[in-house]
Amino acid sequence: MEDYFVQLKHITKTFPGIVANDDVSIDIKKGEIYALLGENGAGKSTLMSILFGLYEPDGGQIFIKGKEVSITSPLKANKLNIGMVHQHFKLVSDQTIAENIILGAEPMKKKWGFIKSIDIDRANKEVAELSKRYNLEVNPTDIIKDIPVSTRQRVEILKMLYRNAELLIFDEPTAVLAPQEINSLLEIIKSLRDNGKTIILITHKLDEIKQVADRCAILCKGKLIDILDVKKASTQQMANLMVGREIELEEVREEVKKGKVVLEVENLSYKDKDKVSKISDVSFKIYEGEVLSIAGVSGNGQVEIADAICNMIRATSGTIKLNGKSIDHMNIRERAEAGIAYIPEDRQNVGLILDFPLYENLILKEYFREPYCSKHGILNFNEFKKQSNELIENFDIRSGKGCETTVRSMSGGNQQKAIVAREIALNSSLIIFVQPTRGLDVGAIDNIHNKINELRKQGKAILLISLELDEIMALSDTILVLYSGKVQTIEDAKNLSKNQVGEYMMGVHNNA
Amino acid sequence: MLKKMNIFQRIFYAFCGEGKARKLRTSIFCILASMVFGGIILLLLGKNPIVAYKSLLQGAGILPKIKYPGRKNQLTDILNLLDYTTPMVFASLAVAVALKCGLFNICVSGTMIFTGILATTLVGYSNLDPFVARILVVIIGIVGGGLLGALIGWLKYRFNMNEVIVSIMLNYIINYIASFVINSRYADPISRESVEIGQNARLTLMNFEAMGLKMNISLLFPFAILVVFLIDFLMKRTKLGFELKSVGTSPLASKYAGMNVKRTMILSMVISGALAGLAGVAYYLGTYGSIQPRVLPALGFDAIAVALLGFITPIGCFFASILVMIFQCGTSYLSSRLGVLREIASLITSILLLFSACAVYFNQKADSYHNKFLMEDKSDE
Repeated sequence: MEDYFVQLKHITKTFPGIVANDDVSIDIKKGEIYALLGENGAGKSTLMSILFGLYEPDGGQIFIKGKEVSITSPLKANKLNIGMVHQHFKLVSDQTIAENIILGAEPMKKKWGFIKSIDIDRANKEVAELSKRYNLEVNPTDIIKDIPVSTRQRVEILKMLYRNAELLIFDEPTAVLAPQEINSLLEIIKSLRDNGKTIILITHKLDEIKQVADRCAILCKGKLIDILDVKKASTQQMANLMVGREIELEEVREEVKKGKVVLEVENLSYKDKDKVSKISDVSFKIYEGEVLSIAGVSGNGQVEIADAICNMIRATSGTIKLNGKSIDHMNIRERAEAGIAYIPEDRQNVGLILDFPLYENLILKEYFREPYCSKHGILNFNEFKKQSNELIENFDIRSGKGCETTVRSMSGGNQQKAIVAREIALNSSLIIFVQPTRGLDVGAIDNIHNKINELRKQGKAILLISLELDEIMALSDTILVLYSGKVQTIEDAKNLSKNQVGEYMMGVHNNA
Repeated sequence: MLKKMNIFQRIFYAFCGEGKARKLRTSIFCILASMVFGGIILLLLGKNPIVAYKSLLQGAGILPKIKYPGRKNQLTDILNLLDYTTPMVFASLAVAVALKCGLFNICVSGTMIFTGILATTLVGYSNLDPFVARILVVIIGIVGGGLLGALIGWLKYRFNMNEVIVSIMLNYIINYIASFVINSRYADPISRESVEIGQNARLTLMNFEAMGLKMNISLLFPFAILVVFLIDFLMKRTKLGFELKSVGTSPLASKYAGMNVKRTMILSMVISGALAGLAGVAYYLGTYGSIQPRVLPALGFDAIAVALLGFITPIGCFFASILVMIFQCGTSYLSSRLGVLREIASLITSILLLFSACAVYFNQKADSYHNKFLMEDKSDE
């Protein structure tokens, strides 16, 4: 018994309308990597929030090293040597790495013998030592806002190690990383285990589990389905258990005949407020029934292209034509009306108004026209709800209270489904998807990929911007690779291998 | 690990917890809590709080007084209360409309002086027909206030200036210009205020004689009720209201949805300004007939707290205004009956407003009880 670090027994937690955890029991051994696998809304995050003291369970017990404990707050969890690396980092962006790490547990010294102050030199030294010991390279004096996402994640890990965490919970740690950064994170996780730490990994990426985890618990709709030994289980088996139905991991691609040009972008350039060039001289065309993907490492101007097409940002120069007509002079709404649907990268802050009910969010792009709004500007909420219920039905959007649910309380996957449903319902000729599957589980990803294929068959022009190379390889007809705002290549997807795209993404293949 | 809810927590939860009419219950909780606090203070002063609250209500005309002076009775007191309440209704609505759109209009006081001095100088001293003059005063209130609101909105839109700072500075600018105008041309040598306006332009019928009584009847009060419902409809049912709330909640998502964020912000400031302008004419050309130079009306600032007490909803603002005005109107009767200083009522009002500003916190606190104790309720069953 002693070698169990954490034992969760019969944990039950309900939220209004939803049972998030239903009698879940798991035991985690000291020094293992334990994966929690499940779709969005399966209850992984809730379970870990209970362990981390963010929620109190309605029923069940928690044992740490064999002793029953009640974890009422994250502070208490910290005292029990439990640390959590959140999906959305909780760092102060104007402070240095060391300052962030010591925040709340500052080493103190007495200046001139009596004035208490923070011993920042000691903090820097301690952080440097810690980073060396665990092979997490950081420079303690760098400011958070200047460092890349992968380093910020390391800071989060160091923060936990600094507080002597023995159990580290990672909440979907790879969701924010670019492909090449994922491997190094997985290596870090492994080396943490080898240093005697216990790790819980919340994820829905099967290959990551296969790569690092020892055991894996699968949750589905709040219930514990199975606990597998990762080495013995197949990926397919895990995927099926997680979704509760058969999934095809391989898809066959149908040929679709290209129609006429829908979007024509010529010499598009954009400089930001500080006159830094984000996109320069980008030109491409998208035809009916074509999926054009923009590949690139995060922050190389992909999102700016999408924003410029929709006029979320004003292009500095260049022309954009939709169905043969210039849309340069149009504002956001006029462009949307002319036939551009846009699924933005930041679904929570841009794509949705989180505090509004689902039915208002589902009609957010059409509320101003009949039948939702009369000529005199009076809204008809019955029409809102009628259309919403139809979309909820067709796109299988799940929520606690139907169309009256506040969007904030919905799971990430269902929020994304709501945006996709709304944008597809616009019936536009061009649909822009930016990172449509980021942070979603296999089932939801599958659903969105099918939708993209379906739209392609219907003869829509699709612009797909994604950091997932596999997604791009699977879905595109044409691939455009962007590197520091410049087009590296535009090529028929059939003529490019994954490795070649990777090389263009790193800017190595510069002869195009 | 289970804890029983104690009696205070139970009472607190009954008022602020989940369920029907939560906003109303929370407001009532705030009112009762502030009265308890006020009661404690009165006890410390050696006064009977029940008598004090009763005389407060008597003073405001809610309960009958023991005796009335000639040609006055409870009806005249209630009419006075409504007359005092009218500007507060407009002012709190002005704050609420801007807040809904995510803007903080502190310029309600300034706007009140602005429309007050405009209407006083342009119409107040004229010989126009009463009907025409009064309509003109209301129009000046709406248009003048709306223009001032538009100015604040435009400055924010054009130069990205913070509306709070602009509002505060405009308060001072308007206040001193108005004082200058009054002191140089319209000052009454005895009262040191502006010369009282003519009855033809007055929005309150002063000493109106009927049924053997002398009454002050606010002509604008019915209009205030109408405006409450209009704003409520605007917010809940119209495209503009939807856009206002949307921009107030998430400007980025509103931009993405194709709304003109800046235009919406300016529009909300125009509406807010127009309402504040109405408050100005109701105050300076209704309740009072003159303007005191170099004094910003406190009502414009109290309106912020009143709007919060009313949960930033029009109907809520209406009732919150009446409540706060009951306290203010009852004060003089209270102080004369109990021999306490007038300030005690202001103190209780302030405590009430302080509590009402904490309403959202109370709800969150009740929710945390809900999470803590729900399990226990289940095991009881």
